Amino acid sequence: MNAYENAIEIRGVTKRYDGFTLDNISFDVPKGCIMGFIGQNGAGKTTTIRSLLHITNIDSGEIRLLGLDHIKDETAAKKRIAVVFDELPFHDVFNVKDMARIFEGMYPEWDNDAYLQYTERFQLPQKKKIGQFSKGMKMKLQIACALSHNAELLVMDEATTGLDPVVRDEILHLFMEYMQNGERSVLMSSHITSDLEKIADMVTFIDKGKILLTGYKDEIIEQHGILKCDKEKLQEIDAEDIVSIRTNNFGAEVMVNDRENASYKYRDCTIDPANLDDIMLYYVHRDAKEWS
Amino acid sequence: MKMYLSLVYRELKQTRKHYIIMLALFLLVLAFMLLPLFISLAYGGAINGDVADINGEILFCAAPLALLGGIAAGTNNGLQKADISAGWKRYSFVLPPTAVQQAVSDLSVKICHILLFGAVTAVYPLLMHCMTGANSVSPTFNLYFGAAAAAVLTDAAYCYIIMFAKTKKDLAIIGAAAFLGAGLILRVTDFFTGDINIPEQSAAGRSLISEEALNELIAATGSTMTTVCVLAAFVTACVLYFLVMWRSHERREP
Repeated sequence: MNAYENAIEIRGVTKRYDGFTLDNISFDVPKGCIMGFIGQNGAGKTTTIRSLLHITNIDSGEIRLLGLDHIKDETAAKKRIAVVFDELPFHDVFNVKDMARIFEGMYPEWDNDAYLQYTERFQLPQKKKIGQFSKGMKMKLQIACALSHNAELLVMDEATTGLDPVVRDEILHLFMEYMQNGERSVLMSSHITSDLEKIADMVTFIDKGKILLTGYKDEIIEQHGILKCDKEKLQEIDAEDIVSIRTNNFGAEVMVNDRENASYKYRDCTIDPANLDDIMLYYVHRDAKEWS
Repeated sequence: MKMYLSLVYRELKQTRKHYIIMLALFLLVLAFMLLPLFISLAYGGAINGDVADINGEILFCAAPLALLGGIAAGTNNGLQKADISAGWKRYSFVLPPTAVQQAVSDLSVKICHILLFGAVTAVYPLLMHCMTGANSVSPTFNLYFGAAAAAVLTDAAYCYIIMFAKTKKDLAIIGAAAFLGAGLILRVTDFFTGDINIPEQSAAGRSLISEEALNELIAATGSTMTTVCVLAAFVTACVLYFLVMWRSHERREP
């Protein structure tokens, strides 16, 4: 087993489509870390995930998974990676037992006992055809498969989208358990920021194919704030402090990118803490600068 | 080895329904072909006569059986299409099996089914051989593997085209194009307009094929040279199929 610092290293990756470009993106997912990958629909989350998993070829850049090249060492890397997609990619004719038989030959570290425990915990019927499962059950099955071969890196693409809050909470709790040995890493893309606020250590924010923010979640949340002021006061705020401005009938709400500094500079204004949802929303409108 | 067992298990389980239906239809045709024999035996009759004549009669039944069996076994089993629809095709890119391992598994499943259908096809000429002494095993074998080779080759071409489909919509477009294309080829080659019915000529007292020509045909289909050629064609078709499947599993999404 090779030693590595970052479970995922993405350097200068570019992928061009007609009408969309993943533009020279770079970020790392350190070992033992849960990275939330956020952005609105069409921002480039899925393209990034498909690129790093070599589902699609990239035009330029370098990707390393668990310290291995994502193309040259593909087979070695993929034995140690688990992937969960937003839709179950298994055929409807199979059942829970069939999936164990399929995966046990593919993964050297497949653990049938662990798989059985997960399926029992999720109350998944062993012999019922997958086609008859609910959406929640299908997602649980996919997660049970992903967690049963001792993967060091778990990549999830919108895995919690479309699930009810109870199932989402159950799944998030399971991920946190899975991370407890400190050797495993997770990249989890979602536009449901509340999920990531619960479990992510780090956050990367992508918009229109570009990485806007990447770093520790708490630091990002701490750095940003929503400054509330009237329209006259708004003129006094330095442009470099502003991410974007949301105007309303009573005044404006300004997302500032350095809350501590802003609280000294604009003492007569209230600055509320921002959550990931706010940060995403204000950054998405950064080009318009003022929006309502 | 465990890897191949997993891959083959998945494909067998996934295509089971297709092959069960094919096998059931095939057994039905086989039973139909054996019906005259059973009726004859039931009424205490025996199949007598010149061995050459009997050979011709047996081959008359064995040939369509062999052609049908070969096509049923070698034709597309719908796996590629189902894999794209279910999302397994995309998911397979993130799994440890290499493109070569997956292609070997595809070919193994295909060959398993060809051998299974071949064994069932052999029942008829073997039974006839035991009953009458006439030997039509070799021509049946050649016809069967010839048909299987043609079906595998067609499947390779179909899989090559389907390789470019990424969504259900693409599959529908390719399916419609293949249907229209096949119709166009048949139209261009005048396949639909052959004059089978010739009212000015009476069929009474005439034979479809002369005895001499029939004997030549039986001798040609059963010859060692034909066996070698058919096996070479079959092996070539399998190699081509393997190469197409390899490329299909290797090819990434655009």
